[in-house]
Amino acid sequence: MGNPMKIRAASKDGVTEVKVLVSHEMETGQRKDAAGAIVPAWFITELVAKHGDKVVLTSDFGPSVSKNPYLAFKFKGGAKGEKVTVTWKDNKGDSRTDEAAIN
Amino acid sequence: MFRFSKTILVFALFSASTAAFAIDKYQGVGRQATPAEVKAWDIDVRPDFKGLPKGSGNVERGNELFEEKCASCHGSFGESNEVFTPLAGGTTKDDIKAGNVKGLSSGELPQRTTFTKVATISTVFDYIQRAMPWTAPKSLKADEVYAILAYLLNLQEIVPADFVLSDKNIADVQKLLPNRNGMTTDHGMWPGAPAKKGGIGNGGKPDTANKACMKNCKPEVLIGSTLPDYARTAHGELRDQNRSFGPVRGTQTLGPEAAKKAADAGTLDLATKSGCMACHGMKSKIVGPGYSEVVARYQGQTDAESRLIAKVKAGGQGVWGSIPMPPNGHLKDEDITTLVKWILSGSK
Repeated sequence: MGNPMKIRAASKDGVTEVKVLVSHEMETGQRKDAAGAIVPAWFITELVAKHGDKVVLTSDFGPSVSKNPYLAFKFKGGAKGEKVTVTWKDNKGDSRTDEAAIN
Repeated sequence: MFRFSKTILVFALFSASTAAFAIDKYQGVGRQATPAEVKAWDIDVRPDFKGLPKGSGNVERGNELFEEKCASCHGSFGESNEVFTPLAGGTTKDDIKAGNVKGLSSGELPQRTTFTKVATISTVFDYIQRAMPWTAPKSLKADEVYAILAYLLNLQEIVPADFVLSDKNIADVQKLLPNRNGMTTDHGMWPGAPAKKGGIGNGGKPDTANKACMKNCKPEVLIGSTLPDYARTAHGELRDQNRSFGPVRGTQTLGPEAAKKAADAGTLDLATKSGCMACHGMKSKIVGPGYSEVVARYQGQTDAESRLIAKVKAGGQGVWGSIPMPPNGHLKDEDITTLVKWILSGSK
């Protein structure tokens, strides 16, 4: 289920800027722990952002993305009070969805 | 801060009974500070919350204020690592329970943040009230400081999203601070008496011992390295930056250019007063571009002056990287014009 994401969305002059702080370990699968055993890979593979029902961003994530990634993007449209939804899936089959209202 | 304001307090009480003391001793020098002057200066908030102003603020209002005044440098979530180290992040629920941030000692943390280190919430309050926002320190009202602090505590997952922070409950928040037990006072940097004598430090004993050399000592001091030539001017004319009395003068670093600098000093004062010098250097980038870099970019463009005036006024972003320049509507138009003309004519 993962920890909640922090999402801010602000609309200005017909363009909505969305900022997302994802809480995720993002293990590459290449690090070793103190005992020398490989730390198993655990990272987000796919992230989708929707404005209402409309998909505004899809992205393929991989092991090179940092821990607790920060993401910012803009899309045309969006008005105060409407919802922006962000969903990620990781390589362990886990996923999480969070939403925020545009202001 | 702690020591100084205590002194002032004692002095204020003392001087109330013998008001003419200082003036008698130093004829014609200065006057007593008025209670209002002392009050304006005495803004510190201490770990026991002495000096804390009354007020309250909620997370939502803090979010609005943070977006408006803080996010351009610190990032919307206090996560920005571009200019400053991040404000929030790096602590766990266990840390909040234990009062010690485990990541600091285990080496697990890639980077420290404000909330992994700070042991007293009063320090954060005091700092925001005293020094933030960078371009307009002390401009926040008490309620706004409470709101911004509530937002930061929420980012750190110490308080819930509907939390209202006030002077009444800030002591309860202190009990939830992740690194509240992380402060040590048993070292020489802590002033006052040692623990044995009822103080909290070690009595100012240094961590290292500098023993006098008794044999095989070096006969004379040799200067092993000096600043390379290209770096000598990195901080401008050093001689001008030292006080004009006493033995220390500072090396003359700029040579003949120094004369021009003196002529431009008036405008430099204006730039310093207006907050420009917090982010812009004379020659090189601090947060924003250095003035000589600006001159180089806009050289030969006839409309450069009017464009830059508009930009200083309204703020801008993107020309010199992603850190935005905040708008400066509070400056007078003629001051902005003077500053832009000064920058384009080579400042120094």
